[in-house]
Amino acid sequence: MLSAITRAFRTPDLRKKLLFTLGIIALFRLGSVLPTPGVNSENVAKALEQAQAGDSGNIYGMVQLFSGGALLKLSVFALGIMPYITASIILQLLTVVIPRLEALKKEGQAGTAKITQYTRYLTIGLAVLQSTAFVALARSGQLFPNNNLPILLNDDIFTLVTMVITMTAGTSVIMWLGELVTDRGVGNGMSILIFTQVVAVFPSELMNIFRQSAFKFVVVMIVGIVMIAVVVFIEQAQRRIPVQYAKRMVGRRMYGGTSTYIPLKVNQAGIIPVIFASSLLYLPQLLVTIFGNSANPGPVIEWLAQNLVTGDHPVYMVTFFALILFFTYFYVSITFNPVEVADNMKKYGGFIPGIRPGRPTAEYLNYVLTRLTAAGAPYLGVISLIPILALAVAGASQNFPFGGTSILIMVGVGLDTVKQIESQLQQRNYEGFLR
Amino acid sequence: MAWVPQMIRRFLEKPGSVDLARFQATVAEAARLEPEVRARPELPPPAADAVGTAEFCAVAREAAVRTLGQRPYDVQLVGALALLDGNVAEMATGEGKTLSGALAAAGFALRGRRVHVISVNDYLARRDAEWMAPLYGAFGLTVGWIGQDSTPEERRAAYARDVTYAAVSELGFDVLRDRLRTDPADLLVPAPEVALVDEADSVLVDEARVPLILAGAADAGRTAPETAALVRRLSRGYHFEVDDEGRNVFLTAKGTDTVEKALGIDLYDHPGTVAEVNLALHAHALLTRDVDYIVRDGKVHLINPSRGRVALLQRWPDGLQAAVEAKERLAPSETGEILDSITIQGLLTRYPEICGMTGTAVAVGEQLREFYDLKVAVIPPNRPCVRVDEPDRIFAAAEDKVAAIVEEIAARHATGRPILVGTLDVAESESLDLRLRARGLEPVVLNAKNDAEEAAIIARAGAYGAITVSTQMAGRGTDIRLGDDTAGGEGSEEAIRRLGGLYVIGTGRHDSSRLDDQLRGRAGRQGDPGGSVFFVSGEDELLTAYAPDAALPAADPDGVVRHPEAAWTAGHAQRVAEGVNLEIHRNTWRYTRLLERQRAELLERRDRILHGDAGARALEDACPERYAELRASAGEEAVERAARQIVLFHLDRCWTEYLAHMADVREGIHLRALGRLNPLDEFNREAVPAYRHVLDEIGRRSKETFETVDVTLDLAGQGLARPTATWTYLVQDNPFGSEWDRALSRVASLLKGRRRGR
Repeated sequence: MLSAITRAFRTPDLRKKLLFTLGIIALFRLGSVLPTPGVNSENVAKALEQAQAGDSGNIYGMVQLFSGGALLKLSVFALGIMPYITASIILQLLTVVIPRLEALKKEGQAGTAKITQYTRYLTIGLAVLQSTAFVALARSGQLFPNNNLPILLNDDIFTLVTMVITMTAGTSVIMWLGELVTDRGVGNGMSILIFTQVVAVFPSELMNIFRQSAFKFVVVMIVGIVMIAVVVFIEQAQRRIPVQYAKRMVGRRMYGGTSTYIPLKVNQAGIIPVIFASSLLYLPQLLVTIFGNSANPGPVIEWLAQNLVTGDHPVYMVTFFALILFFTYFYVSITFNPVEVADNMKKYGGFIPGIRPGRPTAEYLNYVLTRLTAAGAPYLGVISLIPILALAVAGASQNFPFGGTSILIMVGVGLDTVKQIESQLQQRNYEGFLR
Repeated sequence: MAWVPQMIRRFLEKPGSVDLARFQATVAEAARLEPEVRARPELPPPAADAVGTAEFCAVAREAAVRTLGQRPYDVQLVGALALLDGNVAEMATGEGKTLSGALAAAGFALRGRRVHVISVNDYLARRDAEWMAPLYGAFGLTVGWIGQDSTPEERRAAYARDVTYAAVSELGFDVLRDRLRTDPADLLVPAPEVALVDEADSVLVDEARVPLILAGAADAGRTAPETAALVRRLSRGYHFEVDDEGRNVFLTAKGTDTVEKALGIDLYDHPGTVAEVNLALHAHALLTRDVDYIVRDGKVHLINPSRGRVALLQRWPDGLQAAVEAKERLAPSETGEILDSITIQGLLTRYPEICGMTGTAVAVGEQLREFYDLKVAVIPPNRPCVRVDEPDRIFAAAEDKVAAIVEEIAARHATGRPILVGTLDVAESESLDLRLRARGLEPVVLNAKNDAEEAAIIARAGAYGAITVSTQMAGRGTDIRLGDDTAGGEGSEEAIRRLGGLYVIGTGRHDSSRLDDQLRGRAGRQGDPGGSVFFVSGEDELLTAYAPDAALPAADPDGVVRHPEAAWTAGHAQRVAEGVNLEIHRNTWRYTRLLERQRAELLERRDRILHGDAGARALEDACPERYAELRASAGEEAVERAARQIVLFHLDRCWTEYLAHMADVREGIHLRALGRLNPLDEFNREAVPAYRHVLDEIGRRSKETFETVDVTLDLAGQGLARPTATWTYLVQDNPFGSEWDRALSRVASLLKGRRRGR
């Protein structure tokens, strides 16, 4: 992988693309640490330190993860890519509901371009909403509940509006940066930006651990590296089901083996089940936060507070694991419909040798997929549980850097990008008989 | 402040926003020079560095007046300047694109560049070349043209001229043939310098969907009449089904049972038999005589769907041709094997300078920029167009539509107004002809079957009382003049103008709005009066294939749909079709880009072998003993010649096999998307090691042959006759949609299913 990157730097146009991407990433990080005008950055830094030391449950966990810590810093890029992601999801849901949007989508590129345009408008709308909400939280001091330092320099309406406009503009710039990377850099822009944010918190958190104890740091590093290796290995594992297309007569071959196959991955579901499961497990935390302060919270809330809020409780772990298993099967079943795949193959004259097209093929695919997922689902569960287990055993800091989600995102985006670089690299420089 | 939006459009580089002001200034200056230039007794051609100046325009105009008797309008000169600047010029029909193009071509040639004027068909290439020859002569330039029937000598002579007119396919096939030459003296096409593309949208966008493919006869063909007979017994809906787009056909379980019983085997354990049955089924169910092909002289001829012409020398690939021959009970022709292919894009981007002209460029402006880095310059018409384009008339049933068309023709014809009816395919033009004759009318039919009479038929299409029924072939490049000045009276041009000019009736919307506009554009040339209307029905293929879910609103009792939603539905279907075609174009390009780069690299090696002794040196390195031995016995020269032939043969052979392999990979590559992999990346990942293998294999086989062959005997025993064939890939990149699409549609169908269940 490293050799691929060094070779890439030696190829002029790839080097240009890589440098462009790195430049965008640098810009993106700069905007993530650049405070919005009107923010008292000294006080924010203090409050952040306290919040980290205070080991308080972080209600913004997932959002904070995707914003690379920019959110609580109230930086120019505080909102990160979340508004854009949310907007895309909303529009995709709407295409199912609104016939006109569905019709647009069918019109191919021209229609998709229009939908993209709507997504951008919606992103800006969402950014205005979210930035207003955060500025309001910051103003009333609720952003950091356990301290009273004023976060804003002053709270007249002009400053507040400036902040909202800055953050909204920041979100638009992020959107643009992402599109620029997709167009002129390497990899998928949005994924690269998410990757950047996920990785961005590593140094400071590793530093924290190192300060606590050097031994712990070494253990964390070893565990982390082993996990990355395992994830890389399993993410690439696939079962190849050979397929034959029978529209052409196949003459003699000089190439052995078949290159037409359906690659079924061991982890066919990707990262989505983990995100679903963790999102669902925020619910009890939220309930406890809302109702837990009342004088008589009731037995349900009390039970929730005991068992499902802190990650080191066995009930929490078992529930988390079970949810991941469930969501893995669920997500695989909705994204891979064996009947549809079998129909498509039949339509274009493809078949699995020895198996009839249509229903028998669908049944066969389903059989293979179910057995593969039986291995894939526990793998996802274990990878996601390791950081929590590590917390329980070692009493590490709340923010164990190699969280399951982080590693899955990191490896996923990293693999995709390196593959793309490699495939562009391989297209040059041939050697052989005649050179 | 009308220029503000124009400036914004220009800043955003929207299509059609090229600034014409500088060209217009030059042309205005040329008008000032005109009297002086006219007074010159001799007209020496302008110097190379004067091209594009006012002086050049004035001289060019005067040359056209003296040689062709035509004075180019200002807008034609503006068009020529826009072309010289490397743009695609959009000029309305009848504005004299041919002359503009010729002036620009002459300009490039005066600069010392060799110009290829690329048109859509042989007819236009020849007509324009012969028509403009005197003009080129006045500039001291030579011009030539190439047609389907030109001999290699004629081709070589034409390519040697300063300006060469050729259809894009002829040029492409010449390039492809050149890539397989084994003797440098046989090469035809000179190095590419300037390409001036006529009907640019058709050539650069529509034709570019399908790569040009050069196929060679592999061996005598073999049809399977028994399979064709077996398939003929199967019935649609029970034994087999056709998909919604009408592009694919497949056996049902019942059909499989029947076939297995008839053949007595487990079908899916025998891939070869499956292929044979599928092909027979494809020929039987999807290809219709007189729509997709015609049978003439005991042979199957394909019809080019975008032009409605017979495509000579085109074949279906991989046994489909044989299956169609079996269906029609004809003798089998030779089977083909793909030797090489090139996309229109690959062909044209070889030229350092490209420009083009067409009547409809803005609609594809984005694509021209994406694929060719070309900008569109919109040239205003000399006289504003006064054609009346009526809104579509939409019917629920196809039968009502045809009846209304016949009525409309009869009513318009009663006044003597000339009518041009554009049909979508050959069969439709013939059935309409019958209907009209039954009404006592006398239409003239112009379709793929009588394209030889094209010029004569078109010449009469604007005359008093003419009814011309034509397939799309009349849609481009044909200029229909009103009236007949020799006739006088009610047949004179003036009388026809008073009747309202040519009336164009489209019997259905095409799958691109540009084709509609081209058909409309036959009327109302040069500010002539004219009218056009399209008839659409809910049963048209466009609507059923591309908008099957979008039902037309209910029709009124007379069968006409007047609800405004109906027009939207028709437009939507057309936009979906345009989107699908764009996707095909883009995929063709994306999936051939790497192959073309590899091909270019291989050709570079090939050139070194062809023109030098690279083959001999490589073989000398590989097997020095054998080389020394042969040199001693046969002499250096003979060994070098033999080495060249051996290496070239294996190089071409391995490339052919490589193409077949990659075609195979391409067909199933979309399945990779199911493993969350990017099909295009995966395709390229497969292509790279396979190409390395090609390079190794060339060496291995060359060595092997070199070790055993007798170099004193004739090596090129393989006479490769090269018929041509084309096909397109109909498998989409990712027919399953993105992961999210799949999840959403699954959830949506679950919800809908539940709602329905209640």
